[in-house]
Amino acid sequence: MASVKLTKVKKIYDNKVVAVHDFDLDIHDKEFVVFVGPSGCGKSTTLRMIAGLEDISEGTVEIDGEVVNDLQPKDRGIAMVFQNYALYPHMSVYDNIAFSLRLQKVPEDVVYERVTNAAEVLGITEYLMRKPRALSGGQRQRVAIGRAMVRDSKVFLMDEPLSNLDAKLRNQMRAEIILLRQKLDTTFIYVTHDQTEAMTLGDRIVIMKDGYIMQVGTPTEVFEMPENLFVAEFIGAPKMNIVKTNLVREGDKYFVTPFGAKIPVTGEKGKMLAEKNVKAGEILLGVRPEHMTLGAEGQGSIPCHLVVNEMMGSELHLHVDTADGSRLIVRIPTIDLDKEGRSALVGGHNLHVTFEGKAMHFFDPATEKNLLV
Amino acid sequence: MKQYSDLEYLRLSKGQKFTYKLTSLLAAIPRGIGRFFANIGKGIKNGVVGLGSELKDIGATFAHGDWKTKTSYLVMGFGNLARGQILRGLLFLLFEVVFIVYMIFGGAHWMSMLPSLGKVGPTSEYNAVLDTYTTVYNDNSFKILLYGVLTIFFIIAFIYTWRVNVKQNKIMEQILKSGKKLKADKDDLRSMVDENFHATLLALPMTGILVFTVLPIVFMILVAFTNYDGSHNGYSNNLFTWVGLTNFNTMLSWTGGTGGGQSYSATFGEILAWTLIWAFLATFTNYFLGMGVAMMINKKGIRLKKVWRTILVMTIAIPQFISLLYVSKMFARNGLINLSLMDLGWIKQPLPFWEDATWARVTVVLINIWIGIPHLMLITTGILMNIPADLYESARIDGANAWQQYRKITLPYMLFITGPYLLTSFTGNMNNFNVIYLLTGGAPTNPAASGAAGSVGYTDLLITWLFKITTGADSQYYLASVVGIMVFVVVAFISLVVYNVLPSIKNEEDYQ
Amino acid sequence: MENKRHMGLRTLNRVSNTAIYVLLIIISIVWLIPFIFIVLQSFRVESTYQVGYVIPHQWGWDNYIKLWNSDFKRWYLNTFIIALAAAVFVTVIQLCMSYTLSRFRFKLRGPLMRFMLILGMFPGMLTMIILYRVLSDLGLTQANAVPGLILVSVASSGMGYYVSKGFFDTIPKSLDEAARVDGATRAQVLYKIILPLSKPIVIYTILTAFMGPWGDYVFARYVAMGTSAGYNVAVGMYSWLTNDQIARMYTTFCAGGVIVAVPVTILFLCLQKYYVEGVTGGAVKG
Repeated sequence: MASVKLTKVKKIYDNKVVAVHDFDLDIHDKEFVVFVGPSGCGKSTTLRMIAGLEDISEGTVEIDGEVVNDLQPKDRGIAMVFQNYALYPHMSVYDNIAFSLRLQKVPEDVVYERVTNAAEVLGITEYLMRKPRALSGGQRQRVAIGRAMVRDSKVFLMDEPLSNLDAKLRNQMRAEIILLRQKLDTTFIYVTHDQTEAMTLGDRIVIMKDGYIMQVGTPTEVFEMPENLFVAEFIGAPKMNIVKTNLVREGDKYFVTPFGAKIPVTGEKGKMLAEKNVKAGEILLGVRPEHMTLGAEGQGSIPCHLVVNEMMGSELHLHVDTADGSRLIVRIPTIDLDKEGRSALVGGHNLHVTFEGKAMHFFDPATEKNLLV
Repeated sequence: MKQYSDLEYLRLSKGQKFTYKLTSLLAAIPRGIGRFFANIGKGIKNGVVGLGSELKDIGATFAHGDWKTKTSYLVMGFGNLARGQILRGLLFLLFEVVFIVYMIFGGAHWMSMLPSLGKVGPTSEYNAVLDTYTTVYNDNSFKILLYGVLTIFFIIAFIYTWRVNVKQNKIMEQILKSGKKLKADKDDLRSMVDENFHATLLALPMTGILVFTVLPIVFMILVAFTNYDGSHNGYSNNLFTWVGLTNFNTMLSWTGGTGGGQSYSATFGEILAWTLIWAFLATFTNYFLGMGVAMMINKKGIRLKKVWRTILVMTIAIPQFISLLYVSKMFARNGLINLSLMDLGWIKQPLPFWEDATWARVTVVLINIWIGIPHLMLITTGILMNIPADLYESARIDGANAWQQYRKITLPYMLFITGPYLLTSFTGNMNNFNVIYLLTGGAPTNPAASGAAGSVGYTDLLITWLFKITTGADSQYYLASVVGIMVFVVVAFISLVVYNVLPSIKNEEDYQ
Repeated sequence: MENKRHMGLRTLNRVSNTAIYVLLIIISIVWLIPFIFIVLQSFRVESTYQVGYVIPHQWGWDNYIKLWNSDFKRWYLNTFIIALAAAVFVTVIQLCMSYTLSRFRFKLRGPLMRFMLILGMFPGMLTMIILYRVLSDLGLTQANAVPGLILVSVASSGMGYYVSKGFFDTIPKSLDEAARVDGATRAQVLYKIILPLSKPIVIYTILTAFMGPWGDYVFARYVAMGTSAGYNVAVGMYSWLTNDQIARMYTTFCAGGVIVAVPVTILFLCLQKYYVEGVTGGAVKG
C-alpha cells in the first residue's frame, strides 16, 4: 500500500512568487498519475515537494498516511528518475545502479543480484561496466530507471524522463514504461509537458496551469469533457478550434451560429444543454479538428478558403480561413479523399466546413468554464 | 532627460544614439547611488521594525510560556534540558557559563576601559631590592581596544544565542502542544552531516574569517580615531587614546603639512590619481593585449599552439618576487639594460628608468604587462573558445571582415562575460602591492610630499603608501588606518557604480 | 576569375599567419629572456654584481655553494613547510566554503556573501599591524614565524572561495538530488559524488595554495622582523638586493631564484592542465 495524499500544498519562493496554489490530490495505491501542463505551471515543483527536494511552504504531503513534510528525501521511500538522467559520471553503470543499495549497506551479493536483474529487465546487461558518457540517450534513460527500480520504493517519481530523447526513441520508451509499470506494480507519479505522453500513460491526468490544478481525470474524461477552455485546448493535437459565437435556443432544440451558419446541437450534448437549461447567448464554441469535415454549401456549413494544406501521411491538416479571417484547422483522413479531391486542395481553394452537433464543446466566454460541467 | 521609445531611438543618428546612451548611463549613476541609500534606509527601517517584533515576541513567549520556558530566560538551555534535549541544553548552558565567567574575569574590565583606552601609562618606580628605578607597565591601550572589541563581539553573540534559546522554547512548546515529539539528541547529531551540513562546513572557515579578518578590520577602523603610533604604542612608552576625527582632518586638510611641503590632501589626491590611472592602465592593457595574444594563438592554421601557450603559462609559475625583483634590477641605473646599452655605445648616460617620474610610471606599466599577459591569455582563451562558431560563420556570410567580426562579435561577448572580472581586476590592481613595491618601492621620491608621513614616491599607490606609513620612522598607524578606510571608500564607490550600471548594459547584450 | 580570388584569400592568410608567427616568436623571447638571464647569471663567477653582458666569462658553481653556506636552506625549508601546510588547510577550508555556498540555500547565504564582498574591499594590509601584535603576544613571530604565517594565511582563506564555487556551480544540481533520493546524506553527497567529480578544482586549489607562500613578501617580512631564522625565501632574498648587499649577493640571488623557481615551475607544468581548467572554468564566473 502506498498512497500519496497532498492537502493544500503550497509553494512560495523566497521572492514571494507562488509556484503552487493549494494543491489537493489523493493518489491511490498503484495508480499511475501524470502531472501535465506548460512549462512554469508548477508540475515539477509539486513533484519535487513530494520527493523532498523542495521545501513545502504550506500544507501537508502524506505517503502511506504518514506526513513526510519534515523527512529527508532518502527517508520518504521514493525513487526518482530525472529529466537529464542525473547519472553519476564517475561511476560505471553497475555502480550507478548499486549506489543506493550500497548506501543502505546491503550485502554485495544481494546488490549483485538486484542490479543484474534490473539490468536484464531493461536490456542493459552488456553495458554494466561502461561509464554513462559512453551510452546513448536511450541507454542512459534505462540506467536512470534501473537506478530507481532497485530501490524497492513505495512511490516512483518521474520528472519529464523522456523529454531529452528524440521522437522515435520517445515512443519506444513510452511503451517500455507501460511495461515497466506492469512489472513493478507500484505507485507512479509522472511529470511531462507532452499531452500525448500524459494521455497514453496516465490512469489519471492532473492538468496544471500557473500553479493551479485545471482538471483531474482519466484520459477519456479530460478529452471528452474538458472542464475549461485551457484543458480543452491543451489536450489533443492539433488543438481544438475555438470560435466565438451564439447559442440559440428554439424550444428544446439548441443551435450554434458560427460565421452565419446554423448548426443544430444533437445527441448527448443537446440533451445535456436542455437538462442544464443553459441560456441562449454568446458562447465559446469548441470543435476538435478531427470532428470537422468538408461539406456541401448550405446552411449547415461554413464557407472558407484554404490557406495551408499539411500532408501528414494518413491524414491531412487543412488550415482554412473563414470570411472574417478566423483560422480553423480541419483534420481529415487521407483515405476519405480520392486523388482528384486531394489535388484540388491547394491554397486559395474555396470549401465548406461542417461538424456534427455531438462533437461540440461550450464554454462561458467570461469564466472560460465548460457550460455542461 | 528625454526618454525615447524603442522606435524613436532607432531613428536617431549615430551621434545622437551615442549621446543618448552616454547620458542615460551617467544618469544611472546617481540613480544607482540613490537606490543604494534607499536600500540602506529600507534596511534600517526593516531592522527597527524587526527589532520591535522580536521584542514583542520575547515578551509574548514569556507571558504565555510555562515555567520551563520562563526559567530559560535566566538559565539558558533549561527548557531543552527539562524537555529531554540534553545536548542542546548543555551547549546553551555551557555558553552562558563561559560568557559569565569571561565577563567577570576580564570582559567587564576591558569594556569599562574602552572609553578611555587606559588611564595609567608606564611608570618608573623605585625597586628597593635592586636599588634602581624600573619601569612598571600598567594599562595597555592596545589590549584594551582589542579585547574591548572582542568583548563587544562576544556580547552580541550572547544576545543572539539567548534569543535563539528563547525562540527554541517557544517552538518546543508548540511542537509538544501539537502532540508531536521533539528531536532527540541523536537526530541533532545526525543532522550535522545532513540537513545542517552547511553549518558544520562553515563553522571553521567563518571562525577564521571572524577572528583574523573581521576583528582586525574593526580594530583598525577604530584606530583611525585614536593617536596610535610608534611613540604611543599603548604600552611601553605612551598610552594612546581617542582623538575623534582629528586624523581625518589631517588627511583632508588643505593647509601644508608639518615640515614644509604640500598639504596632506594634495599628497593624498596625487597618490589617488596615480592609483586610479595605474589601475585603469594595468587592467586594460593586460586585458586587450592578453586577448590579442590569445586570439593569435587560437587562430586557425597557427601551429604549435601548445608550445606558445606553455611558454607563456610557465612564467606564471615563477614566484613574482623573483621575476619582479630581477626585472627591477635589470632596469636599474647600473643594471643589465643600461650597462649593455652603454657598452654597445648606443647611449652615453644611463636611462632613468627608476629615477624619472614619467619613465618609472611607464616602465611599471610595461613590466606589469609582461607579468599579466600570460594570465589574461589563459582566461580569455577559455572564453574565446566558448563563442559559438556559427556567430562568426553567419557574420562572414553577412560580409563582415576580421576587424568587424572582432568589434561586433568577439569584443561584446568578451566584455559581457568578463564584466565582473574586469571590476575585480581593477580594484585588485588598485591594491597591487607586489608589483609596485618589488619593482620600485614607490621611487622616485616626490619632494613636494616630503611633509607627509612615509617617504612618498611618484609610483606609490595608496596601498604602498599605507605600508610605508606603518613601517616608517614614526609608524603613524592612525594615518595608515585613515588611508585604508579611504581605499575602502574608493573601491566600494567604484564597485557600487559599476554594479548599478552593469545591468543596464547587460539588458542590451543578452548572451545567455 | 574564381580561381584568382581563391588564391588571393590564401596568400592573404599566409601573410597574416607569417606575421603572427613572427609576433609569437618575439613574445616568447621577451617572456623567457629574463629567466634565461637569471639562469646564466647564476653561473657567473667573475663578478657578483650586475654587468653589461649576459653570458658569463667564467662559469662555475660558486654562487650555488655560497647559497648552500648561507641561511638560504633555512628560508627554503620555512617556505616549503608553510606552502605544504597551506596546501592542505587552505584547500580544505576553501572547498568547505565554496561547496556550501554553491549547494546550500540557507537564510544567511546572501548576507554572508555580500558581507565577504564588502570585507574584501578593505585592503588586507591594514590588518597586518594588529595581526603582527597578536602573533607577537602569542610568541609566533621572529624565529617562530612559520606557525604564525601558517595560521594567518590559512585563517582567512575562506574569503577566496570564488573560483571553486564557480566550478561547483557547473556540476548539475540534479546529481546531488539523485544521490539524496538514493539515500545519501549531504555529507555523503559531498565525498561520494561531488569530490570525485571535482578533481580539477581540487588540484587547482592545492596548486595555488602551495604556490602562494613562495611569493609572500610583505606580511612575512613583518612577522620575521629581521630575524633570519624566521624568513621565507622572498624576505631573505629581498635582503640580498638592498643597497649594502647587492654588490656581493646579486648573482647569489640569481642562483636562489633558480633553486626556488625550478621545482615550482616543474610542478606547475605537470599540473598545468588543471590550472588552466580552474582559471578558465571558475575564475571568470566569480
